[in-house]
Amino acid sequence: MTAVDTARPATGGRRRRRPRGLTAHIILVVAVLVSVFPFAWTIVMATNTTQDIYKSPPKFTFGSHLLENIRHVLNTIDFFGSMLNTVMVATVTTVLVLFIDSLAAFTFAKFDFPGRKLLFGTLLLFMMLPLQLAILPQFILMSKIGWVGMLKALALPSLANAFGIFWLHQYIQNGVPDELLDAARIDGAGFFRQYWNIALPMIRPALSFLAIYAFVNCWNDYVWPLVVLTNPGHVTLQVELAQLNVGHTTDYSMVMAGVLMAALPLVIVFSIFARGFIAGATEGAVQGS
Amino acid sequence: MDLSRRGFLQAAALTAAASGLTVACGGSSGSGGTKNGKDLTLWYWGGALSDKVVAEAKTHFSSSVKLTSASIGGDFKQKLTTTIAAGTSVPDITGIKGEDMASFLPNASRFLDLNDLGFKKVSSQYLDWKTKLAQTKDGKQIGFPIDIGPTALFYREDLFAKAGVETDPAKVAALVKTWEDYFQLGTELQKKNPGTYLVNNIGSMFDMTVGQGTERFIDKNNHFIGDQDHIRAAWTTSVRPYTLGLDAKINDNTWNAAVGKTLLTELGAAWHALDIEQAAPQTKGKWRVCPMPVGPANQGGSYLALPRQCRNPEEAFKIISWILSPANDARGFTDAAIFPAAPAAYSMPAMTGPDAFFGGQKIIEVFGPAAKAVPLAYEAPADAAVMAPYKTELTNIEAKGKKPDDAWKDAVSQAKQIARRQGVS
Amino acid sequence: MSSPPVTGSAEVPQRLGGPVPARFRPRRTPPAGSARPRRRGPLSYWRQYLAISPFYLIFAAFSFFPVFYSLYLAFQRWDGMGTMQFVGLQQFRFLWDDPVFWLSIRNTLVIWVLSTVPTLFGALMLATLLHSVRRFKGFYRIALYVPNVTSIVAVAIFFGAVFSNNFGLVNAILGMVGISPVPWLSNPWLIKLVIALLMTWQWTGYNMIIYLAGLQAIPNSIYEAAKMDGAGPIRTFFQITIPIMRPIILFTVIISTINGLQSFSEPQVLFGSNAANANLGGPGQAGLTTLLYFYQSAFLNNDYGYGAAIVWAFFVLIIILVAVNWRITTRGRKA
Repeated sequence: MTAVDTARPATGGRRRRRPRGLTAHIILVVAVLVSVFPFAWTIVMATNTTQDIYKSPPKFTFGSHLLENIRHVLNTIDFFGSMLNTVMVATVTTVLVLFIDSLAAFTFAKFDFPGRKLLFGTLLLFMMLPLQLAILPQFILMSKIGWVGMLKALALPSLANAFGIFWLHQYIQNGVPDELLDAARIDGAGFFRQYWNIALPMIRPALSFLAIYAFVNCWNDYVWPLVVLTNPGHVTLQVELAQLNVGHTTDYSMVMAGVLMAALPLVIVFSIFARGFIAGATEGAVQGS
Repeated sequence: MDLSRRGFLQAAALTAAASGLTVACGGSSGSGGTKNGKDLTLWYWGGALSDKVVAEAKTHFSSSVKLTSASIGGDFKQKLTTTIAAGTSVPDITGIKGEDMASFLPNASRFLDLNDLGFKKVSSQYLDWKTKLAQTKDGKQIGFPIDIGPTALFYREDLFAKAGVETDPAKVAALVKTWEDYFQLGTELQKKNPGTYLVNNIGSMFDMTVGQGTERFIDKNNHFIGDQDHIRAAWTTSVRPYTLGLDAKINDNTWNAAVGKTLLTELGAAWHALDIEQAAPQTKGKWRVCPMPVGPANQGGSYLALPRQCRNPEEAFKIISWILSPANDARGFTDAAIFPAAPAAYSMPAMTGPDAFFGGQKIIEVFGPAAKAVPLAYEAPADAAVMAPYKTELTNIEAKGKKPDDAWKDAVSQAKQIARRQGVS
Repeated sequence: MSSPPVTGSAEVPQRLGGPVPARFRPRRTPPAGSARPRRRGPLSYWRQYLAISPFYLIFAAFSFFPVFYSLYLAFQRWDGMGTMQFVGLQQFRFLWDDPVFWLSIRNTLVIWVLSTVPTLFGALMLATLLHSVRRFKGFYRIALYVPNVTSIVAVAIFFGAVFSNNFGLVNAILGMVGISPVPWLSNPWLIKLVIALLMTWQWTGYNMIIYLAGLQAIPNSIYEAAKMDGAGPIRTFFQITIPIMRPIILFTVIISTINGLQSFSEPQVLFGSNAANANLGGPGQAGLTTLLYFYQSAFLNNDYGYGAAIVWAFFVLIIILVAVNWRITTRGRKA
């Protein structure tokens, strides 16, 4: 058996396959260039001075002010302290979201019980309401239970991640065959074992994506942390970063340096979790050859 | 365990109703108790106060209280509104932006009346019009003035020289006594400097012309007056640069790129000097300042206030009157380009020096008198909201070429609607 | 753990994708519970209720409650701090007569269509391509996802600089080939186009990742079976990939509808940088989306009741749109 790419059954000989792969690469490379251009420009801005940013045409080459801008950021705000807070909150939130959402999504996708449709429908409906208005009632709630200023007040509301349940629900519908669960049940596996031993390992790509989603969201969340974290020196990265961007005189090159420093961990987290998707693909390729 | 629909809705209705009650009687639970706390928190935003003065205040008062300060970035007003509405975690001392003051005044009961704490004794040190803008109709003083934003005319001395017109600030001021003089000068300048413009956009013109008056969009009896002559006149003046081709129509973020190149003049507050300096450092020494045609307006400038929950009002008041004493206020100008609200500061060495960006001009000689001459105009809580459609329509003239008369009609009808929504008759 | 009978190639690994069932099609009703006796009280489902309870407890406190609270607000006049005043349906009557509200709805819908359609098509195309190539997969994945982690402030500055009327890169390039400057950031349609471009740029990679995760779940054996039957790549795509991906595509359509209609920060940062300009949404309010209008009414104008009314009126609109979308996307399946 020759090596065959998954979505591209070989219709012709070797001569035809090669250029088509090349076309795919060319399109992908163009897409990559378009995608990274503003990010690259962020780097350019972070290595230049604010005046360079507003030149016309703007300066598109790297400058030599990166270290100076980074030092400026570190002197202005508590970068690493706030980053530690953010890492803690984002990690705890992500782990809990994965557990809570996958359990609920599995239940919704594979079991019927009274009220199922109603509960799932409510969830979908509420996803459509913008929750900006929720900030005030949420704050009142937090002040009633005395959590204002605490990091747990940050994590809790985002644990109810309707997006995650919807996503995993859609994925489990396909990704976890009923026959497998039936077979496990015949073998005597209970509800929780069906979830833990069968469903969970099969939905790893979906979990990887949800992990990225939850982590990035938590990382970039701004308004709620700003309002609920009242204790200075105990805030998240985005709240600290916003301090760089105040007043009539914004030093954009410094802001960009801060933005860049805050985004790098996200790229790392993404590349770690994104390995979750590749597993299936490589196995497919190995199996094909 | 039966999670029926009815059960859910009932629970939701109950919680919703309960929340309404919570908010309605929000902070009233927090009032009693002792008022001589040893810990005080101060909220402000970057650039509102001199960080050095705040740091000194901490040591200066360390024997009586422990002062903690938080510089808050981003949406300061939303954070303050939320905590004040909830009545918990409220700071003991807080900054309030000048443009937000009007919207906090209807809720003056959420703040302490500074007159009870001795503001009356020092109020004469601060500009009267600025103090009055933080006063309720029945005379409660909510805000302690930090700074102001008196406006003036910034102009490019080199481009003026190239056009062969006067370049000395006093002489330029004499040339542009009225707005019409100013536009005439602009036409002349533009002829000699092709591709340049007199004003960046007509919306900011409107800010200035409205700010020069003693009435705005809503009067003290809560009536809408945005369709009356004083606003119409301000509008007509603002549209003039557009019809004369003197308007650069800059409504996006390209101002930074334009300011060192195509703009002959800038109308702006004292703090605007720093904007120009940062955006166009290559024009150092080429700018000058002179009084604005007709007279000054005010843009921006903030206050400190003490929320009702303040744990130690006496000490807190001592702290803010120390931070904002004329001498410390003058230092704010050096440290953070904050233009003091205390006129005594204008003659202090910190402010009287020559400014190299303005070719060695002593700009306080322009801004000092301007600060004292800013007219007092009543600003209703809904004023900013009602003003918005006028500026939108001015932008429509620039962007879509909408006829000024049509734009005026639409602006007034929009403004009336917003006024009605906000309870203005 | 025993496996059900497997069709197709038997050496499919156990871990991801799993053994291939005879039918891989999604079912409309999950059947697992139905194998048990029919008549049972809700209590016997305690495991299921327990499993979803952590979510719903938090959900009730932090979503349910605030949402109903905002409904309550829509019938009040409230400045955010003082006492509320019950005004009945007055806010909704104001809304009906408010041309800016209707303008904001039009803006939102136009921006939504201009961004969602290219985003989803682009994402599906890129995902398919990425799934088909073997080399540099990891690199492509990260590089294409980067827009989603790029700071919106940086993006806004970038787009502002590139599309600026007077000093922009695009106009500079157009000028070189003799085309007169295009008013990207002042013409009402072009403003929407730029905002839509920004959103497309930011969300294509994100949706691509979703599709990719879905594509990875399709076992190779299905494609191999199709290949045996002599199906070409295009037929395979439309007859195998698309039907299997349907729940995922449905998911992205719904999520994009929700996200696209809630567009807010893009126009805000793109036009909010000018401190002297109090208007949101740029010249002519052409970029004023409904949520931005809500933000302006509630948080800038301190009119929380009106803001809540805007959100709720808009909520009803989204529900209608999602329902229509759902009908369109699921119609094929019923037939």
